[in-house]
Amino acid sequence: MLIWFLPLFLFLLLVGLPVFFCLLAAPGALLWLNGQERDITLLYRNLYNGMDSFPLMAIPFFMLAGELMNRGGITVRLVEFSQALMGHLRGGLAQVNILSSILFAGLSGSAVADTSALGSMLIPAMEREGYTRKFAAAVTAASSVIGPIIPPSGIMIIYAYVMGESVAALFLAGIVPGILVGVGLMVMVRVMADKYDLPAARRVTFENVEIGGLESWVSFVLVRLNLGLLLAQFAPAADTTLSKWLTFLGAVLLAHGLMLGLRRVVSPEFRIVCKRAVVPLQTPILILGGILAGVFTPTEAAAVAVAYALLVGFLVLRTMKLKDLPEVFTRAGITSAVVLLLVGAAMSFKTVVSLSHAPEILADFILTLSENPLILLFLINLLLFVVGMFLDAGPAIIILGPILAPVFDGLGVESIHFAIIMCVNLTVGLATPPMGLVLFVAASVSHERVTTIAKAILPFLAVEVAVIFLITFVPAISLTIPKLTGFLN
Amino acid sequence: MKAVFAVLNLLRPLNSGLLAVGRWLGVFAIGVMVAAILIQVFFRYVLGSALPWPDEAARFFMLWMTGLMAPTAFRNGGFVAIDFIDAVIKGKAMHLLQFVLLLISLTVLIVGVQIGYKEVTGLGGRFTTASLYLPTSLTFDGWYRIPRSWMMLSLLVGIVLLILVNIELLLERFVRLLGMSDRLPTRSGLTVGGTE
Amino acid sequence: ADYTIRATANSNENDEDYDGLVVFKNYVEAASNGAIEVELFIGTQLCSNGAECLQGVADGSIDVYISTSGGASGLFPYVQVLDLPYLMADDRVAEHVLSGDFTRKMRAMALEDSGDAIRLMTIGNTGGWRNFANTKRRVAAPADMEGLKIRTVVADLPQELVKALGASPTPIPWPELFTSFQTGVVEGSKNGITDIMGMKFPDAGLQYVTLDGHAYMGALWWMSNQSFMDMPEDMRRVVVDGFYALQQATFASPKRKSIQAYEDFVAGGGDLYVPTPAEKDAFKQAASPVYDWFKSNVTRGDEVFTALTDAVAAAEADVNGARDADLN
Ligand code: NA
Ligand code: NA
Repeated sequence: MLIWFLPLFLFLLLVGLPVFFCLLAAPGALLWLNGQERDITLLYRNLYNGMDSFPLMAIPFFMLAGELMNRGGITVRLVEFSQALMGHLRGGLAQVNILSSILFAGLSGSAVADTSALGSMLIPAMEREGYTRKFAAAVTAASSVIGPIIPPSGIMIIYAYVMGESVAALFLAGIVPGILVGVGLMVMVRVMADKYDLPAARRVTFENVEIGGLESWVSFVLVRLNLGLLLAQFAPAADTTLSKWLTFLGAVLLAHGLMLGLRRVVSPEFRIVCKRAVVPLQTPILILGGILAGVFTPTEAAAVAVAYALLVGFLVLRTMKLKDLPEVFTRAGITSAVVLLLVGAAMSFKTVVSLSHAPEILADFILTLSENPLILLFLINLLLFVVGMFLDAGPAIIILGPILAPVFDGLGVESIHFAIIMCVNLTVGLATPPMGLVLFVAASVSHERVTTIAKAILPFLAVEVAVIFLITFVPAISLTIPKLTGFLN
Repeated sequence: MKAVFAVLNLLRPLNSGLLAVGRWLGVFAIGVMVAAILIQVFFRYVLGSALPWPDEAARFFMLWMTGLMAPTAFRNGGFVAIDFIDAVIKGKAMHLLQFVLLLISLTVLIVGVQIGYKEVTGLGGRFTTASLYLPTSLTFDGWYRIPRSWMMLSLLVGIVLLILVNIELLLERFVRLLGMSDRLPTRSGLTVGGTE
Repeated sequence: ADYTIRATANSNENDEDYDGLVVFKNYVEAASNGAIEVELFIGTQLCSNGAECLQGVADGSIDVYISTSGGASGLFPYVQVLDLPYLMADDRVAEHVLSGDFTRKMRAMALEDSGDAIRLMTIGNTGGWRNFANTKRRVAAPADMEGLKIRTVVADLPQELVKALGASPTPIPWPELFTSFQTGVVEGSKNGITDIMGMKFPDAGLQYVTLDGHAYMGALWWMSNQSFMDMPEDMRRVVVDGFYALQQATFASPKRKSIQAYEDFVAGGGDLYVPTPAEKDAFKQAASPVYDWFKSNVTRGDEVFTALTDAVAAAEADVNGARDADLN
């Protein structure tokens, strides 16, 4: 009887009731009809308690850090850096667009932010170089889905919380799949470059790029510190504090030597462009390095990222003003408030899901289709893809996670693996017609029609679907890094 | 009809004011959250001794941020919904559907506010927070242990604000349903997306 | 069924809480001849911590709930008396105390403080005894604890204890503990062996366990007083006896489960140290400031402390008397 809350929920969702209210109204109505008034209180209580969570705090923090970075003028630095690396290739700016998205993904957990920040800069630039507008918009939209796959990632924080997984493990599991999507898109661009005669390769030159004195020094120090820390990992383990410091000092000196050597082989312009990318790219190193080294939890890493962004924006790059802050904070606050309410409502919904024994019923049904986990994973990917066409990734995870994940857990699919399948698939759904969030953003940024972009994006979607299946059937792609680093036993 | 416009003219500035205050308090709350967590990182890793209160304090302010800022999103259409139905039905039918949907959300909120009041004033509110204290004197020699109800109040306040916004939206939709959209001012505000 | 009891435990089906509930369900459904049905919800589907779940018990949306002393301390701070170190010597004494009037005393206190809403049915065990474990060195004396970063929950009492022993308390959420050991964010914890092995902490470097048995991990079984009192007396008798059976099951289950856990721990290269009586006395000495702290800082702390120490004294006399009688 109670199980009828699912069809009611679906109906309310389809007629356009906000997801937050759907998640509460449908279970509430059925509990009421079922004479379980006392359980309606449980809905309210779990809404509140669902939001009262430390791991969830990473959502407002990462959102804030992303917004601050964006204001601080780091986007342009990342694009220039990508251009210096890949701009001279055939289909250069398209490749730059993709590489920028990979780099941007390390700072931001949002595909929408990626599309609007990179798109507003790269789409006009691509057009000037002779790419069609629809192609430029399609590349931008397709590559921006990397944002929530490579950590940090808002939807992974939500998934981890709702399903009780480790945020850190999920973050680490997303790195390779995210890069894989990027590489797949690059290969596709290369193929299309020949076929559709994309603008020819052109040597990129930077004439007016400058770097401030302070930023130059900060970059100088950061590069040597990072490289030194990395090199020190290969040195034999030191047993005293003093020898640890000496090893580190030696590694830093070695790093300095290496950089001096490198300096001779590159042009001064190239060097400046790279230097300008150091400060922004320190963010992912800070976040991931900090989590991996156990210096902080993902939530703390997010707070540190905010502090770093403020430091960079106000002191190093000096691109931010105090009066910009309230708007940035307000925007991050409102967006996360909506997400938090949604997560809370999902926890209420989950309560009724288990009261109604929906996962058991669904599992029985699914097992009548097939008992082979591989076939079931294939089918589930189709389902997720269709859902992703109509629903944003966050709400889709919140609704389907509690229902689907227990089923596959019972089938022996590693829970982090299933999480990645679900997150990647639904994230790609952000770029699929008819209801793809980033398609809409790409349309508004490029002033191209959604349907036109939707057609141009098809080859890229094909690549992404292929990557989804690769991830699905080769668990090692997602699980190797969390296993090697000990975040997954 | 006059009554509807009278209520709307009262509700609109009221909501604008309340939500603006809510947003400012929300901005303050985020600031405190970031600061609390950074203090914790500093104490734990630099000084080597963790503090008991920052985690709970940050959650306290996050809940208030949510309660105070979400209503702004609701008012500006920032609550995520599937909206392809808008492409299927148009005109009066669409306004009627939206009106009904707003009635449903209002029902949810009104049930919520009743339960919420009982929760805050009930037994759960009498639990103490694990680590939050307020000084009871300027000399810091007396400390009051903050009860959980102070945290729980955040959602109740949020729901009350959501109800005010919901009524405003409902009345506006009613006006549109009667074909008098031109008598409504256009609202501009922050638009926000989700976490994607 | 005429009555449905909805019981929940925030653990999993490998936990002794579940063993207890299975025994309870089986007994109550059989002894009531089907008049009472018991629905089990294992995990956090209904509620996920002491505050939420006890609120559910108070309003009757949950009938039976098991909390640790930490879980209930936000509402009934004096239940933390069970966390006071080194008050009860061993299982035999603890089980004697918890089967007696001490539990009834706590029931009366909780009913009084909850306005007759929440009823303490029985106190069993969950996870055996708390011991100190760490990643650094063998701890044989309080001095060995010096400077160790020990994970505790966010609650005053365990933090006071860790401080009293010269270590530094670090609050870390349970799910993050594994990686925190790995990366050295914390260097030790105070847990039972089954939890240590269940979470695979030795893989994260937790290789030194000292069996100081500083606290009995009491499991407090709560019931909605209204649901209980609404039943006729014969059904109440069935429920009370069901909780007796449950208590016995949770006394026994951790003992059985810990055998394998200890074997696995040692087989994995873990260092298991049993302190001598003299060493244990030294720990008790070092920890004694916590008793005074408890009596003066916790609401009704003095009252419950006296009740427990009196009960322990009586239990020790009983147990020693019985043992002497059995010896010859
Ligand atoms: Na990202
Ligand atoms: Na891009």
